[in-house]
Amino acid sequence: MQNPQHHDLNALNRRRFFATGASGLGTLALASLMKQDGLLGAGQQLAHFAPRAKRCIYLFMEGGPSQMDLFDPKPRLNELDGQPMPESLLKDIKFAFIQKEAARIMGSPRTFKRYGECGMELSDLLPHLSTCVDDIALIRSMHCEQFNHLPGQLMMLSGSDLQGRPTLGSWLNYGLGNESENLPGYVVLATLGRGLPGGASSWSSGFLPSQYAGTLFRNQGSPVLNLANPPEISNAAQMRSLQTINELNGLRYEQIGNPEISSRIKAYELAFRMQQTAPELLDLSGETKTTLEEYGVTREEASKSSTSGFMGSYARNCLLARRMVERGVRFVSLFLSTWDHHSALDSGLERYTKISDQPVAALLKDLKQRGLLDETLVVWGGEFGRTPLGENRVNFKKVTGRDHHPYSFSMWLAGGGIKGGQVIGETDEIGWGVTKDPVHVHDLHATILKLFGLDHEKLTYRFQGRDFRLTDVSGNIVEQLLA
Amino acid sequence: MNDQGYRSRLIPVLMPLLLFSSPAIAAEKTVDFERDIAPILKSRCLSCHQDRVRQGGLALHSAVGVRKGGESGEIIDLGDPDASYLIDLITAYDGVAEMPQEAAPLTTDEVETFRSWIKQGAHWPENLVLEPPVLWSLRTLTQPPVPTVTQTSAKFPIRNPIDAFVAARHQLAGVQPAPPASKRTLIRRLFLDLTGLLPTPEEVAGFIADEDPRAYEILVDKLLASPHFGERWGRYWLDLARYADSDGYLGDSIRPHAWVYREWVIQAINDDLPFDQFSIEQLAGDLLEKPTDSQLIATGFHRNTLSNTEAGVDLELYRTKELVDRVNTTGMVWLGFTLGCAECHDHKHDPISQKEFYQFYSFFNNADDSSVKVSHDWDMAEYQSKQKQWQPAYEKALTSLQEFEKSDLTAEQKAEITKTLEKYKRSSDLKKISPYYETKQPGWDKLYSQLESLLKTRPSPPATRAPTFKERTKDRRDTFVHVRGIYNQHGEKVDPGTPAVLPEFNAGEPLRDRLDLARWLFQENNPLTARVAVNRIWQHLFARGLVATPNDFGTKGEPPTHPLLLDWLAAEYKSQNWSRKTMIRLIVMSSTYRMSSAANASPVQHDVNNQLLWRQNSYRVEAEIVRDIHLTASSLLDRTIGRRGIRPPLPAFVTDVGRSVKWPATEGSARYRRGMYIVFKRTVPYPMLMTFDAPDATVSCSRRERSNTPLQALTLLNGPLFFESAQALGKLMWEEHQDNLPAATEEMFLRCFSRPPAPREQEYLNAAYADLLYLAENSQAKTKSAEDPQQTALIQLARIVMNLDEFITRD
Repeated sequence: MQNPQHHDLNALNRRRFFATGASGLGTLALASLMKQDGLLGAGQQLAHFAPRAKRCIYLFMEGGPSQMDLFDPKPRLNELDGQPMPESLLKDIKFAFIQKEAARIMGSPRTFKRYGECGMELSDLLPHLSTCVDDIALIRSMHCEQFNHLPGQLMMLSGSDLQGRPTLGSWLNYGLGNESENLPGYVVLATLGRGLPGGASSWSSGFLPSQYAGTLFRNQGSPVLNLANPPEISNAAQMRSLQTINELNGLRYEQIGNPEISSRIKAYELAFRMQQTAPELLDLSGETKTTLEEYGVTREEASKSSTSGFMGSYARNCLLARRMVERGVRFVSLFLSTWDHHSALDSGLERYTKISDQPVAALLKDLKQRGLLDETLVVWGGEFGRTPLGENRVNFKKVTGRDHHPYSFSMWLAGGGIKGGQVIGETDEIGWGVTKDPVHVHDLHATILKLFGLDHEKLTYRFQGRDFRLTDVSGNIVEQLLA
Repeated sequence: MNDQGYRSRLIPVLMPLLLFSSPAIAAEKTVDFERDIAPILKSRCLSCHQDRVRQGGLALHSAVGVRKGGESGEIIDLGDPDASYLIDLITAYDGVAEMPQEAAPLTTDEVETFRSWIKQGAHWPENLVLEPPVLWSLRTLTQPPVPTVTQTSAKFPIRNPIDAFVAARHQLAGVQPAPPASKRTLIRRLFLDLTGLLPTPEEVAGFIADEDPRAYEILVDKLLASPHFGERWGRYWLDLARYADSDGYLGDSIRPHAWVYREWVIQAINDDLPFDQFSIEQLAGDLLEKPTDSQLIATGFHRNTLSNTEAGVDLELYRTKELVDRVNTTGMVWLGFTLGCAECHDHKHDPISQKEFYQFYSFFNNADDSSVKVSHDWDMAEYQSKQKQWQPAYEKALTSLQEFEKSDLTAEQKAEITKTLEKYKRSSDLKKISPYYETKQPGWDKLYSQLESLLKTRPSPPATRAPTFKERTKDRRDTFVHVRGIYNQHGEKVDPGTPAVLPEFNAGEPLRDRLDLARWLFQENNPLTARVAVNRIWQHLFARGLVATPNDFGTKGEPPTHPLLLDWLAAEYKSQNWSRKTMIRLIVMSSTYRMSSAANASPVQHDVNNQLLWRQNSYRVEAEIVRDIHLTASSLLDRTIGRRGIRPPLPAFVTDVGRSVKWPATEGSARYRRGMYIVFKRTVPYPMLMTFDAPDATVSCSRRERSNTPLQALTLLNGPLFFESAQALGKLMWEEHQDNLPAATEEMFLRCFSRPPAPREQEYLNAAYADLLYLAENSQAKTKSAEDPQQTALIQLARIVMNLDEFITRD
């Protein structure tokens, strides 16, 4: 083959790759073109109010954690243990599995104590979180209508029980754009056993363009699908190839002037930057031993368990979440599955709080210490809570768990404009229904958007002849949450 | 409707003309109600204030209504405009007026006209009742005459009526059409638009060399007759049909036979089944007289709805949700109307009431899920060949088995053995017959496990049952309005019916069932079906419809950019017996279609969004086609049409996010089948498809987004299938061209872009090749790889070419 003379390979550097001189496309012209493109989700820059939060870490507790065993003490439950509930309360209620007639109230073995200056009551299962109570706002009066997992999760994640709507992280990126130069604006980390009910719809951009969808990250190895070069392609070859791709795309742009080509050039540059940056994100060697220990990255694993590996994985994900918001990622979703304790509730909760309590508290403290908590909203919660009744499913020999309960449950928020050290809302003596300051999922969403400077009634997207909102046709700001 | 479209997108040239038509009336002039007031009322007020919709209790369609006023009292003080509340409401202060709401205020002249009218006694002709304006899309459809335009440019010959309509607008706006695209661009455009595949370099060379003036037409006819045409246009239809291979929701079970419907769509489009018949069979094939299997399979259209099988769900609630989806989908696909807004209550701007929504719903309320057995020769042949491979080993195992048989077995026991083996389902079956054998003898365990694995892998004969609809005849459900959209809060009982804004069924005959509904969609005076359908065809050939909102022909959608052309095409579609191929042929034969798509194709920058169609539009091809062209250019493509879906390999971390997802990777050449055959699992959609904006199959999709993201770049650079394509192409070029780099790059370009590289491009390629070769030689020295460094460099060059924007763009 005819062999053009070898080039000086020292020239194969980053600078050369980004230089567009050869393409004739001036850097300035290119830059101004890029601004309009919405690449990597530049978003609509729509902020309606002064934002309090810039980033969000959403700790999604899939399955429905039991609020009366964690956040909402109900001493009356133990007094009524084994007794039926008044028929009037059950009249229009639907359960996933409980047989109403024979259902009995189930007490809780947990002990609650007051913590912090605010004196927030928390369960003995949350020793670490209890040291952070003055930073968190606990909502005991969450409620919703969806009593099945996926509709409930979709409601919590996307404001609708139907598949196909954009999730919260997509709306935020659509509304505000992505601040990160090198990473997607919406990243997902998951610690899962048998998978999520909604799979990838849990971070779907729905009808919004795909650049607003969550990007699933692995917490070890190569973080993103197709991020690593094929083994046959060395880094030098990759860089050299990208250079030519951009040169040839630049020529084409010069020739026919279609703006989409300049977007493509920019996309390849960003892809390259992501290749350089994302692996570094997973490299924890720069973290101190203390940090690793505080999060519990190096904690011992229970060797034989269906959740083997979760202790390290979840701790790692919490630490990675901090590293991501440090790098400007707008929305980090951390899934932990599953809190769906229809049976063996006590041991299940022990296990899942053991997995999550320490890293979550470490995350809050770490963010605070680094001055990131002020602008980082942290949300903790599942799709619903659990019943004060024990679950007496047909084929269960013993009653050891609780069924789904969307009519009252607990969540908490911290940082990013949240007024910490307070409890919002109350439930009745057995935790069946909300008795004070109810907060619907739509209200929560409206408030979160407000924290980001967005008016939930104005952040809309026209699809199929309708202007869609995260909050559908409802949503009231929970003023009490705001600092 | 001749200028409705124009006015909303004024171009500067037209501005002075239109100013004359505004009702500029001097204050002292005598106001003529019908000439001066009625048009303003109609266009600015009546959509919220009329007989049916009375916002604020006010109706402005009749003298009585105007005199009466609204909730805030009277609005007119006869003879005294300053005291009239109406004038307060419509007068703008700082550019903002209270009325009309959420719209531009009335002009000063218009307000002045109202003032004069009130001053002069607010005369309203006796018995005159104003009708609210009829939405453009609901007006009677007639075929408008073709404009007689003289050719405006040698580059833009008027080849058919489409060009005449488009040229008339060019002329009016003083716009120069773009020159025609090159023959190379045209053949690639036609291949992509009609088959979703690329022409081979030979096909390109043949077309370039062909001097027959009919060469283009012949090519068009060849592609329309290609079996890949049905794949390309079938995939568009599958977007509308929200086709997927799984249920959705938590269970998200695989629908193992959903593909039969997909195959039906491809076949029907290849056969050019007239669009009316195509539609009627899908909506109501089961109600046709003695329906064929094919007509039953067609009803699979509405079986593509998501279904929630999560344990503990309220089944009636989710049945309702399926029905609502069917109503919405039917409305969007055939009427271009969003019926769904009326699910919960009436909306002032919507032409459809809540009651009408549930009347429409009732057509679907008695359709039950059913299935039809289908058989395919290929399926049977596949089974037989598998069986043939399996049989000898099994028979051998059976022979060995006899050697272990206990000697004292009764005939009954022997029969039990035979039966157990024949009906084998699970491991325990085999255990049941173990006592009949000398299991202590050496060799038994091995034979036992061998037999077990054979029984487990015994090929099963095809038992395909396509999902269908079947109208129930007994225990029929009554339909009620659902109060506030809540499924178990029944309001008024309703009968099947269609929206009052549309013509009645066959002059008032009662509508009974889905078949009537389907026929009503296609009855002569239905104004929507043809407009909506032909707009979609246009959209696929120009990347944007004449109506940019293809499933919203309602008040919130975009009006057509070329209303007359749209009507002409819609009427033509009907008179061409709803032949899809005829319409596509007509459009692609036009000069309009053949124009260059380059943004700088004309020296003058006209409207940048190309509303006036002064050029073609280029677009990034759809997700599936991105894959398909990689496979075509590298000669890897498996061209099998229809049949079961495939599962290209995926890393576990992707599939693990869903509940119990089984994703056994497809083996053999089937791995290289077209993107439309990738099994679509709703909770774990194939990432490459989603990255390139394939719809998520939750609801009907009539327009895909076209994003441009770094994840797309990473997919094309590093995704295994895409790298494999580059490898195949590079290797092929190495084998064919060895030491001739220009020949190799030229063929790469021809395969990918249907054109050779330009000199400057060649320079860049040469430079890249030199560097890549150097790198390959270096690394080969280190790794002792067997691959020739020149081949390695060519593979990497192919990877570069396949990552260029031009490759995934239809120009």
